[in-house]
Amino acid sequence: MDWTGPALILFGATFALMLIGLPVAIAFFATNILAAVLYMGGTAGIAQIINNGFGAMTTFALVPIPMFLLMGELFYHTGLATRCFNAADKLLGNVRGRLSYVTLIGGTGFAGLTGSSMGACALMGSLMVPDMMKRGYSKYLSMGPIMGVGGLAVIIPPSAVAVLLATLGQTDVADLLVAGIVPGLLLAVMYGVLIWAWTTLDPHAAPYFAVEPTPLREKLRLLVLDVVPLVGVIVLSIAILLTGWATPTEAAALGALSVALLAACYGQLTWVAIVKAVEGALKITVMAFLIIFGSSTFAQVLAFTGASSGLMNWALSFELTPMAMLLVMIGVLMFLGCFMDQLSMMLLTAPIYFPLAKALGMDPTWFGLIMLLALEVGYTTPPFGLMLFVMKGVAPPGTTMRDVYLSALPFIGCVILLIVLVIAFPPLATWLPGLAQ
Amino acid sequence: MNLLARAYGGLIRAMAVGAALLMVAVMLTVCLDVLIRNLGHQPSAHFFTLSEYALLLIPCLGAPWLVRDRGHVYIEILLMQLRPAHRQRMAKLIGLSCIAICLTLAWFGVEVTVQDWVQANKDVRSFDAPRWAIVMWVPLSFLLMATEFARFLWRGESPLASMAQTAGSEAH
Repeated sequence: MDWTGPALILFGATFALMLIGLPVAIAFFATNILAAVLYMGGTAGIAQIINNGFGAMTTFALVPIPMFLLMGELFYHTGLATRCFNAADKLLGNVRGRLSYVTLIGGTGFAGLTGSSMGACALMGSLMVPDMMKRGYSKYLSMGPIMGVGGLAVIIPPSAVAVLLATLGQTDVADLLVAGIVPGLLLAVMYGVLIWAWTTLDPHAAPYFAVEPTPLREKLRLLVLDVVPLVGVIVLSIAILLTGWATPTEAAALGALSVALLAACYGQLTWVAIVKAVEGALKITVMAFLIIFGSSTFAQVLAFTGASSGLMNWALSFELTPMAMLLVMIGVLMFLGCFMDQLSMMLLTAPIYFPLAKALGMDPTWFGLIMLLALEVGYTTPPFGLMLFVMKGVAPPGTTMRDVYLSALPFIGCVILLIVLVIAFPPLATWLPGLAQ
Repeated sequence: MNLLARAYGGLIRAMAVGAALLMVAVMLTVCLDVLIRNLGHQPSAHFFTLSEYALLLIPCLGAPWLVRDRGHVYIEILLMQLRPAHRQRMAKLIGLSCIAICLTLAWFGVEVTVQDWVQANKDVRSFDAPRWAIVMWVPLSFLLMATEFARFLWRGESPLASMAQTAGSEAH
């Protein structure tokens, strides 16, 4: 069978339906119905969509996704996130650009625990930007770090997005989660250096203001009571993964339970918080799982019609070097990020990208991490990156899209620099997973 | 009619609550599994199978509620470039397409369920489960999703979140 027709129809129809505004999950289902009728034996093929969905959904590897989401929602709705911010705020004391560092440190913790770049951006945008603007911070320095830390959410474990990508790419989930630790911390340091350089070169961007000094005793109390237990949950989740004591599924479930127990210890585990957290996690889980349900047949039809291998061979026929091919793949993700959410981008590209990366001899964990970073850059790239619109939505009145673009650019630069570093020094991504094995 | 609408609304909410409880149950089951293993015992393999089935039931039970809550993700970039009147027409077309797609999948889902029932197909994992009992939630979910999309159209509202307010105000 000639693969070009099926490839054009499958990708073309999905793109077109998504672009006209059909819900992403329904767009996948619509394409599946069309593909089933055309290539899977007519209406009998539509029954196959149900059977494929049944098989794809009842897969234990997907369990960490709702667990990590629940963990993040509990962290947010029980007020532990605010506690984390307050502690970071008091511990930092009188440094120039203090609120930007608070955003960076608190946001790194929040992003790490929730794995949601949108959530991190929305929460910190509404929490920090008004205060920063009031203190005379430049709007660029107010909004930039917030969009920047969103990028950390997808790579610092626990990350539901990383779990899904590893499942789609049929690579080791634990390896991809662990691979994000070193680059994630490196990115946080790069952001810190950027804020320091920015406030040093342009002191007016972050006017110095005196804050009431926090006594050492109070700082120690905050450190022991508010910081250590919260950081402990993240460290514990990572440690049990690294040592092989628990699988990613178990680490995710234990992480969610730990956050609930921690909130109970602080007296903040109320029924309202539990209901809101479960509701929030359920919404994203149902939305994501329906898309996965729809995409299971999409991937199967791509393989069945020869479109996957056809596209792969076509890409290989250009005889590009692996590096050039990697850059092309990153470029496509950045382009898609202009109008698509991360989940849709992953589901469309993973069935082609991972086999292609494997054919080019790339390490799947290393490639997966680069793909995660590229997805995040695409999400924040002007003019249409979706994160930019989230930021605009929570920014104070009078903020223009141009302001948002200019704020994001230096932080996007850091992520791009990190991608370059991970490409140049693969051990940044592969060393820790190798150690764990 | 009012009673029927209330009972229907109750069903949608009850299914969502069921999905939420299943999600929490999966979390507790996995934790219990770890605890039993670390106490030196062999955890039941059924934990694993039940969690896998829950993964299918969670989206099936929660999907109609998500439609009602306008929680589906979609791309609005082109939609927002249209004039309001065209946008409304487009939203209607999207709603109709969603109904058609959901009904198609519900129909064929029923076909698969009936086939599994007639042929007494088993899903073989740690225990043999009648396949129809698990698959039946798929057509039910798609049928209720179609009903939810139809409710929006009936009330002159948009099923898309960002158009909810304008559509709602115009409908009044």
